[in-house]
Amino acid sequence: MAIDMSQSTGVGQSGGAGGSTAVRWFARGNIVSATILGAGGWFFGHWWGNVIAGHYASVQNSGTNDVSWLLGAIFATVAWFIGLGALNHPIAKLWGGEAPMPEKKDKYSLWEYFSYSTDHKVVGIQYLFAMLLYFFVGGLLALGIRTELLSPTYHIWGPDTYIEIVGEHGTMMMMMMTSVIMGPFGNFLIPLMIGSKRMAFPRLEAVSFWFTVPAFFFLLSALWQGGFQSGWTGYAPLSIQGGVGQDAYLFSFSLMAMSMLAASTNMVATIINFRAPGMRWSRLSILTWGMITTAFTMILSVPVLIDGLYVMGMDRAAQTSMLYGQHGGSPFLWENLFWFFGHPEVYLLALPGFAMTTEILPVFARKPIFAFKTSVAGMIGVATLSFFVWQHHLFASGMNPDMRPLFMLSTELISIPTGFLYLVGMGTVWRGRLRFNVPMLFMLAVFFNFLWGGITGVYNSDVPVDALVHGSFFVMAHFHFTIMGQLMFAVFGAIYYYTPLLFGIKLSEKLGKIHFWTMFVFFNSTFLPLFIVGWLGQPRRVFEYAARLQTLNQWVSISAYGLGLSLAFFVVTFIWQLVVTRPKSEPNPWDSRGLEWQVGIPVPKDNFERIPVILSSPYEYGNPNAGPMADLTPSISSVGSDV
Amino acid sequence: MSKGARAGLVLVAFAAAIGLILFGIFGYLRTSPPVVSAVPAATQPNTVNVTMQVDGAVGVGPHPTWVGYWIQGANGQYKQTTLFTVPVNTYVHVKLYEYDSGGALRNPYWGKEIGTVGNAITVNGQSVSLVNSYAGNGVAHNFDVPGLGVNVALPGVNGEAKNFCEVGPCNPSEAHNLIEFTFYSGKTVHNYRWQCFIPCGLGYLNGNGGPMQSIGYMAGFVEVVK
Repeated sequence: MAIDMSQSTGVGQSGGAGGSTAVRWFARGNIVSATILGAGGWFFGHWWGNVIAGHYASVQNSGTNDVSWLLGAIFATVAWFIGLGALNHPIAKLWGGEAPMPEKKDKYSLWEYFSYSTDHKVVGIQYLFAMLLYFFVGGLLALGIRTELLSPTYHIWGPDTYIEIVGEHGTMMMMMMTSVIMGPFGNFLIPLMIGSKRMAFPRLEAVSFWFTVPAFFFLLSALWQGGFQSGWTGYAPLSIQGGVGQDAYLFSFSLMAMSMLAASTNMVATIINFRAPGMRWSRLSILTWGMITTAFTMILSVPVLIDGLYVMGMDRAAQTSMLYGQHGGSPFLWENLFWFFGHPEVYLLALPGFAMTTEILPVFARKPIFAFKTSVAGMIGVATLSFFVWQHHLFASGMNPDMRPLFMLSTELISIPTGFLYLVGMGTVWRGRLRFNVPMLFMLAVFFNFLWGGITGVYNSDVPVDALVHGSFFVMAHFHFTIMGQLMFAVFGAIYYYTPLLFGIKLSEKLGKIHFWTMFVFFNSTFLPLFIVGWLGQPRRVFEYAARLQTLNQWVSISAYGLGLSLAFFVVTFIWQLVVTRPKSEPNPWDSRGLEWQVGIPVPKDNFERIPVILSSPYEYGNPNAGPMADLTPSISSVGSDV
Repeated sequence: MSKGARAGLVLVAFAAAIGLILFGIFGYLRTSPPVVSAVPAATQPNTVNVTMQVDGAVGVGPHPTWVGYWIQGANGQYKQTTLFTVPVNTYVHVKLYEYDSGGALRNPYWGKEIGTVGNAITVNGQSVSLVNSYAGNGVAHNFDVPGLGVNVALPGVNGEAKNFCEVGPCNPSEAHNLIEFTFYSGKTVHNYRWQCFIPCGLGYLNGNGGPMQSIGYMAGFVEVVK
C-alpha cells in the first residue's frame, strides 16, 4: 500500500520503511501507485455497489447501477489520494511521528511535477499545464459542436451524441476553468507578491490540484457512458432520469468543488496571515486583491453547490425525490442551489481576469493603476452583489413574477462595480507610454471583447429582453464574450507575461503576435455573428436549425476552425519553445516593479533569502522619486518585531 | 538531453495526442448503428418494404436490457438499429412485429393513427384507426415521424403470455402483434428524425431517459434519398 508508516519520514521523503527500493518508492506515493490503487478502488466500489443495489428493479430494468458507479468513483478517489501519498502525513501524525514538509529544491526533475508536491511553484506549474489541457479538450468539443452546425440537415453526430458533446463542453469549461487563474498564477505568484516563502497550507494546496485530475477524467468518461443530457446546469428531472453519465457529471463537479474550497481557503489564509512587514492592504498587488475576493466568493458559494450535488446524488442513487416534483420534491430547489453558486461562479471567472488585466496594464503603460482603490472597490462590489443576482437565470422558469423586478434591478446594479473595473483599465492606459508587447495586446483585447459581453449583459438582465432571448444563441454569444473574450484572453496574456518567471524563457514576440491577431480576429468572427443567429431565433443545444440560418452558421463554424488553428498554433509554438529551443530570458524582462520580479530567475527555492520589508506600492511607474518596492535583505533592526 | 532528442520527443507527443483525438472521434463518437437501405423491387418502382420488430429487451450490445428495434436487412437478417433509408416519392410499406407488452396511454391522443395511407393500420389483419389503450393489452410504443406527419400507435401483447419474448431478437413463434401500415416518403430529400413518444425506458424516471433518448433503441432516423 502507499501509506508510509515510518515515523521518521515525511511526505515525499525517502524514509526508513522496510522492503526493497521499489516497495519504498511505491509506498511513498506517486502517480503510478495512485493510478493503480485508484483503479483497484474503482473495481472494489463498483463490486460493492452491485452487491448492494444489483437486485433493485430499477437497476435490473435499466441495466445501469448508479450506486455501484458512485461507490466506484468514491473509492477510486480515496485510493487515488492514498496512492499519491496524501494520507502519509496525517497517518504519520496519528502514529505520533513527525511528518516534516519535504525539502524544497532549486530545480525539480520532470517526474517531480507528477508528484504530490507541496512547493507552491510546482503546484502552480502543475495547474498551468492541467488547466491548458482541460481548456483544449473543451475547445476540441466546441469544434465538434461547430462541425455539426455546418449544416441544418446533414449530421456528423447523432442527436444524443451532439447533446453529450454540448454538455461536456459546457461543463468542462465552466467547471474546470474556475481555477484557470487562481490555480496556476495564484499559487505560483501570491507568495512572491506578498513577500512570503510559502503558502499557508501547502498540503491543502497540493490536494486542491490533485482533485482536478480525477474530476477531469471522470467528467470526460461521461462521453463514453451516454453523457448527461441535462447540460452543465443539471436541471431536474433530466438530471434524475439520465444514465450513469449524469453520475460522472455530479461526481466530477463535486471533486472540482472541493478543489475550489481547498484552494480558496488556502488563498485567504495566506493573504491575510503571510504578508511581509510593510505589506499594507493598500500595497497589495491588484492580482492579490483579485485572488482574495475570488477566494471569499468561492468559500461562500461553493458549499451550496456541494449541497445541491449531494441532493442530486441522493435522488439518483438512494431513490429520494428531493428534486422531483411528482414525488413531493421540487426542481426549483436544485435551480436555486445551483445558481446560488452558478452566478457568483461567473464572477469567479471574471474577477481574476480583470485582476490579471489590471496587474499587467500598468507595466506596459508605464503608469500607476488609475484609481487603485476604485478598482478594489469594484472587485469587492462585484463579489458582494454576485450573491444577489442568481434568480435572473430563472426569469423564464415560472418563478414568482414579483421577484423578477428585484433580481432585474440587482443584476443591473452589478454593472456599476463592473464598470469601475473597466474604467480603471481605461484610465490606466490613458496617456500612458504604451508598449505593445504580446501580453499588452491580449490585455487590451480583454477590454474590446468585454465591451460586447458587458453591454449585451445589461440587456439580458431585463426581463422583457430575457424572455425573448432566453435559451438562444444570443445568450450563448454574450457569455462567451464575457468568459472566453475576457478571462481566456487574460490567461494567454498572463502566460506570455509570466513565462520568464515560471520557466526562465521568453516566448517569441513574433510568434506571439501571430497567435494574438489570429485569435482575436477569429474569436470575434466566431462569436459576433452568434448574436444575430440568436436574435433570429436559433436555440441552443439543438442540432437542427432553420435552413435560412445556414450561411451565418457556416461563417461561424469556419471562423471557429480558424480560432482552433490559432490555439493549436499556440500549443505547438509554446511547447516547442519550452522544450526544444528554450529562448533564455533576462531577469525582469518587462521592467516591472512587482515584488515577484525582484527575486531573480529562476525563482529561488525559498523565494526570499529573508522576509522582505515592503516600502512602497508595486505600481509607482513614472514617479521619478519612487524608491524600490521592497528591501529584500533587511537588517533585523529595520524589520522590528514583525519578523 | 540533446536538442534533437527533445524535438523528437515533442513530435512523438504531438503525434500521440493527435492519434488519441482521432481515436476518440472515429473509434467512439462517430460510431452509430448500421443503416438499412430499403430499395424498391423492379416490379413496384414506387413502393418499398421495411420489416422491423420491437423487443422489450434487445438482448445485445452495451444495453441488452433496453427496449429497442431490430430492422431486417436486404439479406433477411435483422440488425439492431433504428436507421434506415427509403427513396424519395415512394410509399413505404412497414411490416412491424410488436413483441413488447403495452399499457394505458397518459394521453389518449397518441392512440390515433395519423399520416399513414387511409390514416389506418392493420393489426393482425384487422384495420384500426384508433387504439383504445384502456382495452386489451394497451399500447406498447408508437412510431412517430413528426417531419412526415406520421404517428402510428403500436398495440402491445400480453406480458403474461407463456411465449412472451423476454430477450431479443425475437421470432414469430413468440407472442406478437403483426402491424402493417404504409406512409409516403414525400418529395424532399431529407433526414427525418423518428421517435417513440410513449415513455418506455424501464428503470428511468417516468420512463424517459435511457433508450428513449438513444439512437438504435427508441429513436432513429429515416433518411429519404434520391
